[in-house]
Amino acid sequence: MPELPKKKVGIIACSGEEIAEGTVTRLAVRQVLESLRPEQTVTICLPLFLAGGEGDRVFARFHPTIAVDGCEKRCAARGTEMYSGKPALSIVVGDSVPADSAGLGSARRLNEAGMQVVREVADQIARHVDHLLDLQWDRRSGQPLASSLPQAESRTRQAACSCGFGVPVQTLQVAGREVTLIALPLIFAQFREAGKLPSDSTKTELLQAVKTYNPVPSEEEAAYAQAVMQEYAAFCRGSN
Amino acid sequence: MKEKVLIVPCSGIGKSFGTVARAGAYAVTEDLCPEKTKLVPLALLVLGEDETRHVLSGAQAITIDGCKLACAAKVVAESGGTVAHGLQVLDVYRRHRDLKPSGIAELDENGHKLAQALAEEVKGLVENLTEEGSHA
Repeated sequence: MPELPKKKVGIIACSGEEIAEGTVTRLAVRQVLESLRPEQTVTICLPLFLAGGEGDRVFARFHPTIAVDGCEKRCAARGTEMYSGKPALSIVVGDSVPADSAGLGSARRLNEAGMQVVREVADQIARHVDHLLDLQWDRRSGQPLASSLPQAESRTRQAACSCGFGVPVQTLQVAGREVTLIALPLIFAQFREAGKLPSDSTKTELLQAVKTYNPVPSEEEAAYAQAVMQEYAAFCRGSN
Repeated sequence: MKEKVLIVPCSGIGKSFGTVARAGAYAVTEDLCPEKTKLVPLALLVLGEDETRHVLSGAQAITIDGCKLACAAKVVAESGGTVAHGLQVLDVYRRHRDLKPSGIAELDENGHKLAQALAEEVKGLVENLTEEGSHA
């Protein structure tokens, strides 16, 4: 049965190649992905918002996102907002962790002071991840408390990136205009697999599922429900 | 050729090849051809920063991408730059199959060797470009 992607926090590093702080963002994000919160986080390469497809550009609308920048130009935060969606949080190395650029080493090779800043920024990101996911942690075991985990567990996966694995989207007509809905193909597949036939009760359930991943204006809920239902009926006919 | 050749690695953060691209770019711009090359951060181009776009205009760029999505080559082209050579780390790896890299935050020994092999290839391209320029 197809699974909808679980709620995770997206973390986007500027990776700035010219300055040591850019390397700090990169290594701190990797530390969060690999060690601190591997099951709760996902990343995408910043340039993919420009070079990728629509599925990549919905990244920040699908995941609450933390942008991590090395300098005040804030390429990650501004680029994410420009192409994808406003980050839930923006961290600038040096703002949050006072750091003397020259004392961090070089962009190519951080020194011990630079690596210490990496650890501090990574801890800061992890705390924000917990906050965004409303996670509580057992400080002794270093594991999330079972009661605060999301209902459905994510499958274990390598801490890689989402590049090229964008969230599927589908465009349909709602009240005479084109609307692109995130994850709709996955929702349809999941409903079909569950044997849910087009009906009034399915229409209500579909709308709820769509609202999990997409903003639906309350005054347009009926139009959205109708449009989604029509598409779902066509999807079911096509998959028979 | 008066203009420096611009070296633009991808910002790949999810795969070893992305880190190889970055390490190779540092090896070219800091060790092998510091006088003839300039490193350009891709994030600034994504943002469309005027100063960085200006640097691109009129210069030759060598892009180094860690995956087939080729963000560096696409973003440089979209920003009005000239991609003289668009390299894929995967292609370099195909020529050095004994150097399968691993690690992203920290490359292993093979990763460093592959980055060095990549840098040597880029150096050859830089020298060709600068020689062509000086004969023009």
